[in-house]
Amino acid sequence: MSRALAYAGAAGGVFRRDLALFLSYRMRFVTTVFATVVTLTLFYYVSRLVHSDRIGSPDDYYAFVVVGVVVFSLLTSTLSMPIATLRAELLAGTFERMVLSPFGAVRSIFSLLLFPLAISFATATVSLVYAAAVFGMHLRWPEVLLGIPVGMLGALAFAPFGLLMTAAVVLFKQTNAGSTFVITGVTLLAGVYFPVTLLPGWIRWASDVQPFTPGVDLLRNLVVGTPLPDPAWLDVTKLVGFPLVLMPLALLALRGAVRRGRRRGTIIEY
Amino acid sequence: MAVTIEQPAALPGAEAAGAPLLELHGIAKRWPGTPEPVLAGVDLTVRAGETVAITGRNGAGKTTLLRIAAGLLLADGGSVRLDGLDPERDRTAFHARVGFLSAGNSGLYGRLKVEQHLDFWARLALIPRARRRDACERARARFALDELCGKRVDRLSMGQRQRVRLALAFLHDPDVALLDEPRTSLDDEGAELVAAAVAELTARGGAAVVCAPRSEDAGIPFDRRHLVQGGAMVPAL
Repeated sequence: MSRALAYAGAAGGVFRRDLALFLSYRMRFVTTVFATVVTLTLFYYVSRLVHSDRIGSPDDYYAFVVVGVVVFSLLTSTLSMPIATLRAELLAGTFERMVLSPFGAVRSIFSLLLFPLAISFATATVSLVYAAAVFGMHLRWPEVLLGIPVGMLGALAFAPFGLLMTAAVVLFKQTNAGSTFVITGVTLLAGVYFPVTLLPGWIRWASDVQPFTPGVDLLRNLVVGTPLPDPAWLDVTKLVGFPLVLMPLALLALRGAVRRGRRRGTIIEY
Repeated sequence: MAVTIEQPAALPGAEAAGAPLLELHGIAKRWPGTPEPVLAGVDLTVRAGETVAITGRNGAGKTTLLRIAAGLLLADGGSVRLDGLDPERDRTAFHARVGFLSAGNSGLYGRLKVEQHLDFWARLALIPRARRRDACERARARFALDELCGKRVDRLSMGQRQRVRLALAFLHDPDVALLDEPRTSLDDEGAELVAAAVAELTARGGAAVVCAPRSEDAGIPFDRRHLVQGGAMVPAL
């Protein structure tokens, strides 16, 4: 019990540190919110042009894309932000201190996911409230509250990919191109901005073999009532199954990357 | 494997002053792509209550040796033991008992305040919540940081930053302090503070290893001095 509390305290410490660093830049939160508001406003006017049998009215498309933007934010927070933070740790020389701490490198890196997730949940809330209040987007109540656990499940499903990226940072020091490739690919294949049924058949299988599509579909259904292409239980099973399989592998890869860095001496390089 | 860090006034083995605390046997290290090893079978035993200085010319392998002793780097051959603990097998307990100061001025978050650094690293040191505040206050007192609290680290002088870095190395009351060029940027007052911290550590049965190119650069009274030369460790007068 005392061990669990100590680990929780350390993970909380990483979160508090990231929050303090975030708040030390006075305009950062404002610009984050501003960027979200501009994106949602832009898509509102784009949605006015959309009249499609596959997706419905302009309002239906707007609701569709708002949830896509929310999930994209969640995706970016789990894939991009931890990498950027880890790069900063390497450059500042604080990563070697993490390696030498009793909390350890792997747990520290895992904890790097916490603050970006909190920020993405805050951004998601702002997005939904803004879209509902300003553009009259209809939120399903009280089903929208179920979006919180589903969002967390989604984050957990995305986390192994983020951890694999951080393992690559430990090994190769630079993986920005890799994360951009993955994020772009997921944006295309998971139906973030358009339904995956529009994709050609030969590539559509790729939408079913990653956790992003079921996450987006479930959230859309809960938050704005978009019909589910697959049964809900199947999407939930996928969301639970992916982290169960991938998380141990990602942690193993991360542990291996740290060990290799310690063996080759690259752990102190940047 | 204990995770909770006990911080006794004196170490359990202190009554056996002079007992081996940190033992390095046959440490070998060769960097990939280089023909000659940087360390070739180095032995070092540091006893409780001892301060050992390691000197040698630039690039001799002092820092590499210290990093291996701290468990930051893995040796190609040989073993490291801290009171019987292995840095790989007993990683958490090992690191709970080692304090490490790297050379240079890195390892700080420029935009965090001094007290935020102490709290953050106390948490990562797994110091129990009930003792965290005491540990931070002791660290502040030990390196005269009270006057610096409330200030962001990027607004401190280099010497003040070095005091913060030293405070972090001693924050969890380690049994062994591994200090790489601790005098860097310190004024006389700072040098006295680090010497006092080492004296306090050795008095309670701990030990310190200090690296510097020349013994006079160590800035800390030591009991023995070794020279790293040609990948080997030789006693120095």
